[in-house]
Amino acid sequence: MSAVWRTARASMRRRRFQTAVIALVVMFSSGTVVAALALLAASSGPFDRVFAEQQGAHLTATFDPAAASDAQLESTADLDCVAEAAGPFGQLATTLAVDDDAAVEFPATIAGRDDPAGPVDRLDLWEGRWAAAEGEIVLNTAPADPGDPGAPLPVGATVRAGDGTVLTVVGHAYSFGQTADAWVTADQLEAMGPTAVQMLYRLDDHDTAADVEAGLDAVTAAVPAGSLTGAQSYLALKERISAELGIFVVLLTVFGVLGLAVAVLIVANVVSGAVVSGLRHIGVLKAIGFTPRQVVWVYLTMVSLPALVGAAIGTVLGHFLAAGAMSETFREAGLGNPVVSPWADAAAFVGMPLLVLLAALAPAMRAHRLSAAEAISAGSAPRSGRGLRAHRWLSGTPLPRSVSLGLGLPFARPGRTALTATAVALGVTTATFTAGLAAFATEIDGLIQRHEAAQIEVVGGPGGPSGATGLGDQETQDLLASLPGASEVTANLRMPVTAAGFVQSAELWFIRGESSRMGFTDQLVDGRWMDGPGEAVASSKTVHENDLAIGDDVTLELGGRTATVTIVGVVMGSGTGTVYADWSTLTDLTADVDGLGHPISYEVRLEDGTDPQEYLTALTGAGLTGQSTRQSDAVSIAVVGLATMFALMLGTVAALGVFNTVALNARERRRDLGMLKSIGMTPRQVVTMMVTSMASLGVIGGLIGIALGVVAHREILRLAAAASQIDMPASALATWNAPQLALLALAGLAIAIAGAYLPARRAARLTIAEVLHSE
Amino acid sequence: MNDATQPPPVLVSMDGLRKEYGDTAALDGVSLQIRRGEAVAVMGPSGSGKSTMLNMIAGLDRPTAGAVTVDGKDLNGLNETGRALFRRRTISMIFQFFNLLDDLTVLDNVALAAQLTGVRAQQARQRALELLDELGIADRRDLYPAALSGGERQRAAVARALVNRPALLLADEPTGALDSHAGEQVMDLLIDLNQIGQTLLIVTHDPNLAQRCASRIVEFADGRIVGERTLERTP
Ligand SMILES: Nc1ncnc2c1ncn2[C@@H]1O[C@H](COP(=O)(O)OP(=O)(O)OP(=O)(O)O)[C@@H](O)[C@H]1O
Ligand SMILES: [Mg+2]
Repeated sequence: MSAVWRTARASMRRRRFQTAVIALVVMFSSGTVVAALALLAASSGPFDRVFAEQQGAHLTATFDPAAASDAQLESTADLDCVAEAAGPFGQLATTLAVDDDAAVEFPATIAGRDDPAGPVDRLDLWEGRWAAAEGEIVLNTAPADPGDPGAPLPVGATVRAGDGTVLTVVGHAYSFGQTADAWVTADQLEAMGPTAVQMLYRLDDHDTAADVEAGLDAVTAAVPAGSLTGAQSYLALKERISAELGIFVVLLTVFGVLGLAVAVLIVANVVSGAVVSGLRHIGVLKAIGFTPRQVVWVYLTMVSLPALVGAAIGTVLGHFLAAGAMSETFREAGLGNPVVSPWADAAAFVGMPLLVLLAALAPAMRAHRLSAAEAISAGSAPRSGRGLRAHRWLSGTPLPRSVSLGLGLPFARPGRTALTATAVALGVTTATFTAGLAAFATEIDGLIQRHEAAQIEVVGGPGGPSGATGLGDQETQDLLASLPGASEVTANLRMPVTAAGFVQSAELWFIRGESSRMGFTDQLVDGRWMDGPGEAVASSKTVHENDLAIGDDVTLELGGRTATVTIVGVVMGSGTGTVYADWSTLTDLTADVDGLGHPISYEVRLEDGTDPQEYLTALTGAGLTGQSTRQSDAVSIAVVGLATMFALMLGTVAALGVFNTVALNARERRRDLGMLKSIGMTPRQVVTMMVTSMASLGVIGGLIGIALGVVAHREILRLAAAASQIDMPASALATWNAPQLALLALAGLAIAIAGAYLPARRAARLTIAEVLHSE
Repeated sequence: MNDATQPPPVLVSMDGLRKEYGDTAALDGVSLQIRRGEAVAVMGPSGSGKSTMLNMIAGLDRPTAGAVTVDGKDLNGLNETGRALFRRRTISMIFQFFNLLDDLTVLDNVALAAQLTGVRAQQARQRALELLDELGIADRRDLYPAALSGGERQRAAVARALVNRPALLLADEPTGALDSHAGEQVMDLLIDLNQIGQTLLIVTHDPNLAQRCASRIVEFADGRIVGERTLERTP
């Protein structure tokens, strides 16, 4: 064994570049694998994960405190179907105003809880402390970094409740299940006069709406008749969150799988390059008495040692990178703070070196089989006639001799040529594909958020804006339109409405104003956007679920009145039952829009070149508060950031792989170079020849790579989208443009040239004697 | 023990050896015996199959037909691992282009071959150093092969070949890449080795080398033995 070790160590030492490349490729790959696995784990069922972490309530029920006693409510915890229960907690629906700025007032449900933990709805108290005394309040806020736009009220600020009670903010906690907007101590709430009491239940059976319904029936039966005033199932929230994250989960999954595949392919390529370039070495080892098995061991040691080092470093780096990126992404989405599972670390640290070993095994077995005589001669000179014929043909062309020689070189050793072209193609495919995915992430994000079209959002309460403007709904829309920079303003009201033939109730989105200018048209996957009364557009999931088609009529029903709309278009979207309709449909369904109790929000499209910040300032001046839609989508910003990070990492791995293969190939030709110089080639001609030969491979590999990358991008996204039942507009898949592709092809070429240039220049600088001398 | 009239035992025996590469037969029925202590030179035009025969004897490649026996062992009966283990102790080779391992120093190149037979590192280096000293390149021991002259490299290769005291030393154009002075030195080395009993099989184009080193000259053409003569050594 020690002869093996000695030989392997000497080889690693003398081939530092190759050893370093293996270590680096494995390092980046392991990092990618950790990050990818962690992301996959975290993004598959993010809702279930966070919900489980917080022991979220499957059922939240509110009762009339005058009709049911605390003891009666507590006894519901013992019901058969109830697994755990918390409460009763006093609850008060009121408003909260920031004390020193009465203009900012928002509706809030406050609950009285002495403890953020408990068997159900364990709150994430991520800043400050829990309310311990009267006059203290904890706000329900998704964790955010301090200094973020839209950061919550700082600890120490004071708020004024609707009844005039002044409360000091002592902490921020997050209830994923949204059981309340703020919490005070039970005594404090008692003092403010609760309007209801809430009970939080975890149910044994909770998978379907019917399960939760059954739980509610059991609870209702156990308390005095008529004391239940409201109930909420966790399934509604789950729907909403999955709809928002759906497409991104698909995207991250593709990235994760891609990261793994590319890592394996490139490692395999680099490793087989190491063996192919070591043929003569193998022959000599065998000639002096190394057994085939010992030769295999030498080669496996040479690749697995740097692989182990690379995997160790890469796992650690990937761990911290993933943890950082994920905590940002998921925390800002209110999805808790996922940790990178030790499984991801272990898989990368153990798995990558194993993969390297597997990748090395095939070429090492070739070394095993090769007879010593063959290996020695294969290492020293090509003996193919194909090379000669190609040379002869090329020398007949009017190309400079050094160029035609360079173009002929790849024909002399087809095996190595194939390896190099494969490396380039693989690298360019990866770069093309990942760049496409990153562009797709940006594109899809723009489509979903519509922040190119609707830059400002103003959220109001029922019947118009909240705050102190005293304006009605239509007046608010007019005011927004009159502010400088506004190009288009729409009013939006979202509410569930019964739709005939729908498996679940429809989620109607009534829009007043030129909705076609608010970015919806880009979301179309079929048909056209609605154009006036009586028309509607549905999300693709709605269409699939309810078996609808363009041209179908849908009858909506609200409080006994009906209205019929015709589906004229389908937009991308995973929202269940989402249907867009004109405002006139809403007024057909009800005479009293304000009385519906659903908030109206407004979207503003700005004139080209208008600074959203300026408009927001004008908005505040008019007594309204709004926000830029671009700021509100931290999730997608983070996802785009992650996609870019992945693209960069995979791109680096690909570039290293290409560079390594080309450089190895070029180094091997040093003896040819010495020979050519000895027959009168100038150093410049030598470099030209080398670079030409690799550039020709770069061009071929690059073209193949781009074609594969584009096809893979399109097909894999289509498959992924189909698997998750998400339709996408053609524009989202066609993220390619000619200059971009040309740039990628050039990148492949540039790496090939760089990989050839450096060793060629070194070889060109050596004197002939030196090159021939070093064999 | 040997009676003076009894010839020494046969070390290498080839019988009807044939090797084909595709359509061409590199060896076309070669039969030859080499006795212990002999020095045989193989001569012949380029491409006549001399190196191919050497590869067969060393077990570096398998014949298409025919048998090779070295030191009583039928090489066809051994798998590749078996041939490697046998080669370590019994057969050594030196090449026209030395084939030293570029990654190892001269000393390590020589010691490595000894270590392969299970000799411990310390002892292997000791033996290697003694050999390098005898061959006059001890002062080059810590250099890498690329830094040596051709003659020095060939002497390092000879040291590597001798470190396990092989029964048979095969040399494929050992002076082919050397100038006449360095060639002379290697030649003298081979003569000295034969004088102390080392069996030699030398492939060469150089009639001078053949005349001086060999006790028998075998002529090759088109993969066949076409002539053979025994020499009175001219000291
Ligand atoms: N690995 C191989 N593959 C194909 N043909 C081979 C191989 N090795 C040798 N040959 C062919 O076998 C024949 C004999 O080759 P060999 O190397 O034995 O000749 P040689 O007598 O040693 O010549 P030289 O004096 O030039 O070294 C030649 O025609 C050669 O082309
Ligand atoms: Mg030969």
